[in-house]
Amino acid sequence: MISTEHLSKWYGQVSGLNDVTVKVPPGITGLLGPNGAGKSTFMKLVTGQLKPSKGTIEILGEPIWGNPALYHRIGFCPEQDAFYERMTGLGWVTALVALNGLEPAEAEAAARRALEAVDLLDAAEKKIGAYSKGMRQRVKMAQALAHEPDVLILDEPLSGMDPLMRRRTIRLIREWGRSGKSVLVSSHILHEIESMTSNILLINNGRILAEGNVHQIRELIDTHPHSVFIRAEDPKALARALLVEDGVISMRFEPGAVSVETARPDAFYARLTEMAASGEAGVIDEVTSPDDNLQAVFKYLVKQ
Amino acid sequence: MASLFQYRWFQILLLVSFGPFVVRAVQFYFASTNAQVAEFLAATPDTFREFLSQQGLFVFLVVIMQSGLIADDRRTNALQLYLSKPLTRVEYVLGKLVPPLAFVLGVTLVPALVLLILQIVFAGSVTFLRANLFLLPAITLYSLIQALLSACAILALSSLSKSRRFVAVMYAGIVFFTAAMYQVLRAITGSRKWAVISPGEMLDVIANGIFRSRVEPAVPVYVAIVVVLVIVGVALVILERRIRAVEVVA
Repeated sequence: MISTEHLSKWYGQVSGLNDVTVKVPPGITGLLGPNGAGKSTFMKLVTGQLKPSKGTIEILGEPIWGNPALYHRIGFCPEQDAFYERMTGLGWVTALVALNGLEPAEAEAAARRALEAVDLLDAAEKKIGAYSKGMRQRVKMAQALAHEPDVLILDEPLSGMDPLMRRRTIRLIREWGRSGKSVLVSSHILHEIESMTSNILLINNGRILAEGNVHQIRELIDTHPHSVFIRAEDPKALARALLVEDGVISMRFEPGAVSVETARPDAFYARLTEMAASGEAGVIDEVTSPDDNLQAVFKYLVKQ
Repeated sequence: MASLFQYRWFQILLLVSFGPFVVRAVQFYFASTNAQVAEFLAATPDTFREFLSQQGLFVFLVVIMQSGLIADDRRTNALQLYLSKPLTRVEYVLGKLVPPLAFVLGVTLVPALVLLILQIVFAGSVTFLRANLFLLPAITLYSLIQALLSACAILALSSLSKSRRFVAVMYAGIVFFTAAMYQVLRAITGSRKWAVISPGEMLDVIANGIFRSRVEPAVPVYVAIVVVLVIVGVALVILERRIRAVEVVA
């Protein structure tokens, strides 16, 4: 699906990606690395938004740089928000889909299908300014898949979603993978990536450190305490419910949120999703995980 | 473009921009029906040149309202999404040029050509047009030069900032500051050659040349053309450097 040969990208004196030679197979591939590792640079090179400083990159067997015809076959969901807040979700996705050369009626139909796929059809006529963080993520994903691309590039797609939506989105990404689409999804949280695929590219300091099925890395990550930031309707009730869970090391209250440190992230995320589904500890609005978790492991790995 | 039409103030501006057109149309009507009035108000090539100059204020206003064309895309990070679609940077820039070009031509070329038609209709003959056949290409050429210069300038400025207000202030600053500087330098040195620093003055020189005006130009017409080409060139270079999907801060 994606192949690079000695791919490098420099921003002036700063290296964004350094001599990367890798072949990403069809199916779902996770790009895992801490903040500043080069994930976004790699994705922007893959989507043809950046010109390689050195080396080559091919998508579906063709060079991507300066090849807009190939962009028809790629769907890109950026990490940053990229909205006109006054537009409705439907209007925004339709406008972007139309850039793929679809007629207005076709574009709107495709936008509706995509919004339905990400469970956002009910809010399609609402202005994006009124969307929650999770809805914004989903509308970005909708514009990426609306033109039914062969390759989906998703930059931190789960960031800021609530646990239920996270689970639904993970399921959606798996379905895309099963339907024959190729998906490259970046994250700084291994547990997220692992729930979608076992095929992982580990990136740090602009270099691919490991690729394939990295179980050993996973075990190593599990030995490090993992912190999770949860924004909830009733943080105290949530904290009470979480306190009895195994592996919870510490908790810190913040305005409208609670920060939890856990030694068993898998079990913790599973329990959090159950709580969100049952509503036993009130509404959970947002779950984020700071990337210092992974950063610590990478520092350890590099020292090794 | 459609979103601008939704604003009442923009509709009012477009209506008001046709005020000078109505005045000229009335002038042509009375000149064609009253011989005494015709002595003072009969249409001449200068009438059309003056009309286009008067529209300068409306050109300024419709152009300044385009200040968010690229700035808004940069503020909302929309550029990276647009350029991840099958859309080249050239297509993006050409698309962005359409609104300012259309609005400027809408307040210059369109009313000027309609005025020319009205003159023929009111006079009941094509004598004036036949005698001044150059007016058709002159109106078209001058309007296009003015539209291209304004559109390129506002787009280049819009690509430099994420704030449409700042872009509007920059554009107004350049228009008024260069005109004021020219007047100051002209007063100090007594030379009209300083007109080269003012894009507005350069457009006037070009207009006088195209409309065969007898007014002594501040600088030769070719100098004014070179200045306009340099401004358009600089604007295109800025656009080439600024229209990137990824903003690189090295």
